[in-house]
Amino acid sequence: MGGKVTCTLGEVKNRADFIIYWGGNPADCHPLHFSRYTLIPKGKHVPEGRKGRTMVLVDVRETPSAKHADILLQVKPGKDFEVITTLRALVKNQPVDAARVAETGLTLEQLQDFVDRMKNARFGVLFFGMGLSMTRGKHMNSAAALALVAELNAYTKFVSMPMRGHGNVTGADVVMRWTTGFPFGVSMSRGYPRFNPGEFSTIDVLVRGDNDATLVLGADPGATMPQPAIDHLARTPTIVLDPKVTHTSRLARVHITTATTGISAPGTVYRMDEIPLPLKPILESPYPTDEEVVHRILEKVKEKPAWTPASYKEVPCA
Amino acid sequence: MLRITGGRVYDPANEVDGEVRDVCISGGRIVEEVTGADVRTIDAAGMVVFPGGVDVHTHVAGGALNFARAMTPENHRNAAKFTHSPELRAGVGGTTPSTFATGYLYAGLGYTTVNEAAVPVLSARHTHEELRDTPLVDKSCCVLMANNELILDLLEEGETERAKHLLAWHLWAAKGYGVKAVNPGGVTAWKWGKDAKILSEPVPGYSKVTPAKIISSMAAMVDELELPHPMHLHCNNLGAPGNIDTTIETMKVLDGHRAHMAHLQFHSYGGDDWDTLRSESVRLAEFFNEQPNLTADAGAILFGDSVTITADGPWQHLLYQLTGRKWGNLDVENETGCGVVPYTYKGTNMVNAVQWAVGLELLLLINDPWRIYLTTDHPNGACFWRYPEIIHLLMNADFRRECIEKLPDKALKRIHLPGIDREYTLSEIAIIISAGPARALGMPQKGHLGVGADADVVLYNDDSDRERMFGHPRYLLKGGEVVVEEGDIRKMVDGREFIVRPSYDDNIEEYLRPLFEQYYTMSFENYPVEMERLEGADIRECG
Ligand SMILES: [Zn+2]
Repeated sequence: MGGKVTCTLGEVKNRADFIIYWGGNPADCHPLHFSRYTLIPKGKHVPEGRKGRTMVLVDVRETPSAKHADILLQVKPGKDFEVITTLRALVKNQPVDAARVAETGLTLEQLQDFVDRMKNARFGVLFFGMGLSMTRGKHMNSAAALALVAELNAYTKFVSMPMRGHGNVTGADVVMRWTTGFPFGVSMSRGYPRFNPGEFSTIDVLVRGDNDATLVLGADPGATMPQPAIDHLARTPTIVLDPKVTHTSRLARVHITTATTGISAPGTVYRMDEIPLPLKPILESPYPTDEEVVHRILEKVKEKPAWTPASYKEVPCA
Repeated sequence: MLRITGGRVYDPANEVDGEVRDVCISGGRIVEEVTGADVRTIDAAGMVVFPGGVDVHTHVAGGALNFARAMTPENHRNAAKFTHSPELRAGVGGTTPSTFATGYLYAGLGYTTVNEAAVPVLSARHTHEELRDTPLVDKSCCVLMANNELILDLLEEGETERAKHLLAWHLWAAKGYGVKAVNPGGVTAWKWGKDAKILSEPVPGYSKVTPAKIISSMAAMVDELELPHPMHLHCNNLGAPGNIDTTIETMKVLDGHRAHMAHLQFHSYGGDDWDTLRSESVRLAEFFNEQPNLTADAGAILFGDSVTITADGPWQHLLYQLTGRKWGNLDVENETGCGVVPYTYKGTNMVNAVQWAVGLELLLLINDPWRIYLTTDHPNGACFWRYPEIIHLLMNADFRRECIEKLPDKALKRIHLPGIDREYTLSEIAIIISAGPARALGMPQKGHLGVGADADVVLYNDDSDRERMFGHPRYLLKGGEVVVEEGDIRKMVDGREFIVRPSYDDNIEEYLRPLFEQYYTMSFENYPVEMERLEGADIRECG
């Protein structure tokens, strides 16, 4: 099992009559989501707009998104995986133990009703946030949610989409994949890409203290990463490219102020559905763009002697 | 300036069949003669000289392929690795190679031009970004149109002329080269979880639009716009037992219009279900041989790991249900969709064995090599870097028989391959890997070694082990630059991108803009790909 059954956001706008948000609070975190893509717009096949759509919010607490929901399903913290597994069983008409279901904070009737609505939807979509993917069960929760949606396609049209974070995290992921073959957690230390999340992911490298310098671009790890990682950033040469002062820039040896991408520097941002949008600058900036700075660093690096074999080399399969 | 001397030259477009003659190069082109002290000479004695390979149908860049990369890191962990050097970028090979590796691997076969066969307009910007990072080969794109609902809506209303302008506008907006039709009507039906299996039945959501109508109208539009490449067609019912009837019906529906039939192997099956599946290559080839308006590529399969990537969403859902393996699906608003399912073709599996035979049978039974080309629908049937294995199978009937003996008995009754003795000649190979696809793509500067052609030239050792021969070119010249020398990639050059600018009524934008604002989720201004995104664009005006 694995994979992802998804679509671009316009498909949701044009077709979705059944929308689930699970473990996320879009009203606060993705404020344009309801009005631009999911609930409010009049879609090609949902001409009634909001009236033509049902929204179910699944979360451990009542967030500001709840007042936009038609149905709120409040799950006990840490019980998401159990709920999804029960739903998968109910989708396939398999028996489930009502007493065990009760431990999730929801009743069997609620879940059966949920499944009936999912199966009767014309076009259903499940958006899931960090309240699902970063709580107890983590990637197992995501995998279960993706599997539920894949299996629902035996009955009706159903898609899912993780609610990616702010900034251009999707763009970084997309470009890493086409240049190295892998989305993140890539090591180039042998001269070719190797992928091993948990070993080569940024946090792990920093916490182990494996690297002797860090270049930070479009991120503020000093604000979000665990203390040992931040300590390593402070201890070793850290270079930050950022338009503004950040937690990381304060502990860095070098902070190069750059133009803000999208305001005074052009670029491309990938939306959470991996659709690329061009960014057109509206203001001039006295500062260079990130791209210019990286290119200039690269030119200087090229002046140093190469450390890999000079000739092309293909390493046979391991 | 450069002179290749002493090699046996295979240049079928100019009726040169293995003659020993010189090939002269200056300014990136083939020229009559070069003189002077600064002429470099390559001694090609004992080698054969081919025009650079042209892949008419492959999937090497863009959202769908990159989705597959995300889904199958395990396919890359044990794949070929490319170490970076001052000239070359690092990368990984495998079923969906990274972009730089894609360029190296194609050059490593002697290929210099590739046609990316499935590009949505909405994410075309992404495709071009990847193509820019794909070195050593020239590139072109086919843009997905046959499930574009704005065009289908116009066909429903009988507004064929306006639909043609809209199609032309989209092609230019995507900076594409050709028009691709995938499972016409079926992908839009998949948006509701359905398919379009019968050519004469209305597509779900429409009353007048049928797959047949989409196929015939779109092929006519492509002809009227005088696009260099005919409509590139992936028929309905791909992969399904008994789909031969749909495929032949499709050819009839085309009614004399030009079309390129993609990966024909996946469309040549008889039988009613997986247990009764059989090859219908003889029937298909006989019919195809009589249709001079059509070209095709094989879409052959080889045993081993692959990952299937296609805009054919419903087929991918079925494949996921059959295999229980990972399933990726990405529907693209108003335009198309895509599905990704990893797959392993097994020599012991009856269905896979039949598929293996069908691909070779079509290549051997379609009698005009100028109309059938070598592809595996990379990475669907096999990875492109395995083409030399197929060439060996085509050129050596004894080797083919050895392979047939290993097939399961059940499969032998369902295929025609054991009775076919034909062996390809080197000249015929040059046609199916270079001259033919270049002609089908309408690229007069590619696929031959006549004066004025791009100096894309490949030199192979004349080796009876054809797999080794075609997998290890001694020299490759790209635009006159020696990029492969003694089997090693020595130099990185960027490729061009071929695009067309078909003529259309400018007023079509006024028609489109309000619909776009209603049905899409980005601003209209941001939809067309900017010219600056492309590196070395080569624009062809047409219509
Ligand atoms: Zn294809």
